Amino acid sequence: MSVLSKWFNRPSATDCGPSSGLYHYLREDEFEKSRIHLRIDPDGTGTLIINASSVMHLNPTAALMAYLILENMDEGKAVRTIQQKYRVSKAQAYEDYSSFIPHLSSLIHGACPIHELELDTTMPFSARPSAPYRMDLAVTYRCNNDCMHCYNARERNYPELTTDQWKKILDQLWALGIPHIVFTGGEATLRNDLPELIKHAEANGQITGLNTNARRLANMNYVQELVDAGLDHVQITVESCIPEIHDEMMRSNGAFKQTITGLQNVLTTKLYVMTNTTMLKTNVHAIPATLDFLADMGVPTVGLNALIYSGQGLTVGTGLHESELQPILDMATLKTSLREQKLIWYTPTQYCEFDPTASNLGVKGCTAALYSMCIEPNGDVLPCQSYYQSLGNILDNSWDSIWNHKLSVQLRERQNLPQKCESCSLLPECGGGCPLKFQVENLPVPS
Amino acid sequence: MKKLILIVLMVLLTAGLATTASAQDLPYYFQVDKEVVHVYWNSDGSMSLDYTWIFTNQTGSHEIDFVDVGMPNYNFDMSTVKADVDGVPVSVSTSDYQGDGSGFAIVMGNKSIPASGKGTVHVSVGKITDVLYPDDNDETYASAVFAPTWFGSQYVTGLTDFTMTFHLPPDIAPEEPRWHEAPSGFPSEPATGYDSNNRVTYTWHSPTANASSYYLFGSSFPSSFVPADTIIVKPAEPWIDDDTIFSLCCGGFFVFMFLGLPAITAIGAKKRKMQYLPPKVSIEGHGIKRGLTAVESAILMEQPLDKVLTMILFGAIKKDAAKVLTREPLKLEITPTLPEGIHEYEKDFLEAFKEEESPKRKRALQDMMVKFVKSVSEKMRGFSRKETIDYYKAIMEKAWAQIEAADTPEVKSQKYDEALEWTMLDKDYDDRTRRVFNGPVFLPRWWGSYDPTYHPIPTTASSFPASQARPSASGSSSLPGADFAAQMVTGVQTFSQKTIGNINTFTEKITGTTNPPPKPSGRSGGSGRSGGGCACACACAGCACACAGGGR
Repeated sequence: MSVLSKWFNRPSATDCGPSSGLYHYLREDEFEKSRIHLRIDPDGTGTLIINASSVMHLNPTAALMAYLILENMDEGKAVRTIQQKYRVSKAQAYEDYSSFIPHLSSLIHGACPIHELELDTTMPFSARPSAPYRMDLAVTYRCNNDCMHCYNARERNYPELTTDQWKKILDQLWALGIPHIVFTGGEATLRNDLPELIKHAEANGQITGLNTNARRLANMNYVQELVDAGLDHVQITVESCIPEIHDEMMRSNGAFKQTITGLQNVLTTKLYVMTNTTMLKTNVHAIPATLDFLADMGVPTVGLNALIYSGQGLTVGTGLHESELQPILDMATLKTSLREQKLIWYTPTQYCEFDPTASNLGVKGCTAALYSMCIEPNGDVLPCQSYYQSLGNILDNSWDSIWNHKLSVQLRERQNLPQKCESCSLLPECGGGCPLKFQVENLPVPS
Repeated sequence: MKKLILIVLMVLLTAGLATTASAQDLPYYFQVDKEVVHVYWNSDGSMSLDYTWIFTNQTGSHEIDFVDVGMPNYNFDMSTVKADVDGVPVSVSTSDYQGDGSGFAIVMGNKSIPASGKGTVHVSVGKITDVLYPDDNDETYASAVFAPTWFGSQYVTGLTDFTMTFHLPPDIAPEEPRWHEAPSGFPSEPATGYDSNNRVTYTWHSPTANASSYYLFGSSFPSSFVPADTIIVKPAEPWIDDDTIFSLCCGGFFVFMFLGLPAITAIGAKKRKMQYLPPKVSIEGHGIKRGLTAVESAILMEQPLDKVLTMILFGAIKKDAAKVLTREPLKLEITPTLPEGIHEYEKDFLEAFKEEESPKRKRALQDMMVKFVKSVSEKMRGFSRKETIDYYKAIMEKAWAQIEAADTPEVKSQKYDEALEWTMLDKDYDDRTRRVFNGPVFLPRWWGSYDPTYHPIPTTASSFPASQARPSASGSSSLPGADFAAQMVTGVQTFSQKTIGNINTFTEKITGTTNPPPKPSGRSGGSGRSGGGCACACACAGCACACAGGGR
């Protein structure tokens, strides 16, 4: 049985369709469950986000039709609504609406937008939303590990907001149309109010995720508490299948054991689980074995990334050169493919050094201040969780001043890139790589 | 007197398609200083209309840039519609019409009436048919009823000097027609007279009319003045949505009336309706996958697999990697050391032909094709199939264009040789080849490797039979174009089939592996992720997964 449920805090709709805002729907049947967010912008254009992973852009007509379909509106009434808003004949509106229904259904049910539905493609990173699709909440910088390559550049005792302040922020983010919240840190599980915050976000209609070292997840009761709060997905850092390497990189004896227990625990739940491994000189030789290890455990999705040049990552000296990545990732692609796992490569690179599309890893570029941002424990907004320059405080400053901060615009519009990038044809997709890496190459860092 | 009344006309005036947010926010507010309407009831049973409005747009209001004119039915001749503003012709458009039912819009364009501005809008409609009904009170009479425009009261201010004139069919004597009851606010009897064509006229006039009020005017005249078949016997079918039909009991008359209320409501909420564009969904990703070979493009375009195999064979022959020894059965001589630049799929193809036994060879070709199709799929990950196909179709067309533009047979043949594989992408390849090569064709260098029967004959030959070739002055050989084309085409059609047998069976065995039916996601109780689906990495550009917590 298909269930369509409407969620909370919904904007109001007029006779001519929805007002601008974020709409949330749950579609569920015996085979699958989908969470759909439809963001309607003031100009009528829409963004359809399916399971916080597929993002599609809708022209005003498509946005209206998607809304009417998701609202399960009677077809005749829907056509009249379309006619009330647009100069269109009934026959044309009916024909287009009728053919759009299965189209949307296919999108929701996971058809490949490009290969199966042949959607038009626009250049990567060309959308200019009014707010990101995902907000990382670094609710604390405290951590029970002490990674030697950690990108955190703040003191561990950095000031933290209260539970109520975070709830207020979650509401603000929902009002801005941000459907995806990731709790991170530091180690987010060290905040005892984490389940409460997850519950609040879920009540808003937001999809929630947790980036964690999973040491607290070794406690199954705690895992269940997170699941009951409504947590959707979890990403666990596993640096190696070799306990000594993992613990050494974490600078915490016994961390591996707890992390793996935590990983085992979440794999028994309905949570969407993935791991992440930073490929460094320290662990690179064990990456193949680590991938086998994770596959044996039944991890469905494996993430890999390179060193982030921030915090201790700036000086750790264990980063791999981008030109070294190709063979490792080709191996990882093959291994995960054979084990029917999904591989996600995170790190934005300069394509002249390493082109992820050539390894079928997809287009990867910096999405800071574009599709994702981060809020620090004190409410300051960062372009991304590794770029430690405040754009303003979410509780004190207007969203407009944050979103259109000089640095936000600079990152979003790929300004101040290395000179070698200026005439490069790959630039639209590459974007110049990670801006934080500029500093290790003695290039001007956006500031 | 009971009459069946046809409500003839509804006109909605709405104002414009705003171009800026601030403009959109402005209200529509105007005065109709004067409205003059002429309705001509013609001897052929049709009706003609002529409207003149004098508008004064109010200070601070939205400009008037469209006037929607509703029609009583769809039987109006758009080619007879003419409009002008202050005497300057402006365009009319059915596509810009935003009222329900039938009608058109006057597109004011640069004659839009700005705030505080004044303008005279005039429109005429030459012919509207199916507008007359029998008079229920006298079966020998036809009833002609007309309701002119009114506007949403929220948009109109002030009073209107309103004149309505009916021009009755020619040759009617003054005593023959009858007028119907006048609408409220008008004299009970119209002024009668003749127009310049000596037609009887009824004129209703009120200097204090209201442009936002609904007025109904009517007359009857002997039906003998119009063709009998132009009088609609059945009651008017409602041509508008059910929810826009209002039934009124007024003086014992039952009236179907189109108020146009939905449009007015919409205008009140959103100003003028927006221009409609079909729904469009896009996703960020790669566009065109460049660098595919013609054979890979053929896979992408889902060309028949026997054709694809033929293309591979041509490629191998052109690279001197193989030579056809016999066509029936097809036997290839494969070069022991394969030349540089040979593609993986060509290697696999030639490897398959090393199998002597037909079933084994067929199986090897199947395996080769499965691998090949998968490799093309891999190459296409993240790229737009549609855009890529369009791109390679353009290359194909360009190849044909170069061949067709060649002004000598030598150049034409040379171009064809260079672009052979691309031209083979054409679904019309067979016919087009025959059309293009209607003269002598100089055979490509590798022709002998393709046609085992090919034996060049000396230059001195005075004629060259279709099955033979002769060297050209430059040392090349030529065939009559039709023969050349036939050999190319039939070669394509026959040789692969002989190798692979039934093409449908062969194809099914390949697509059964490369394109299996989708399996339902078995994931139970998922929480926000549906899982499954295409393993394509294409959607990742637009999502927020970059740097999702990496580096911790």
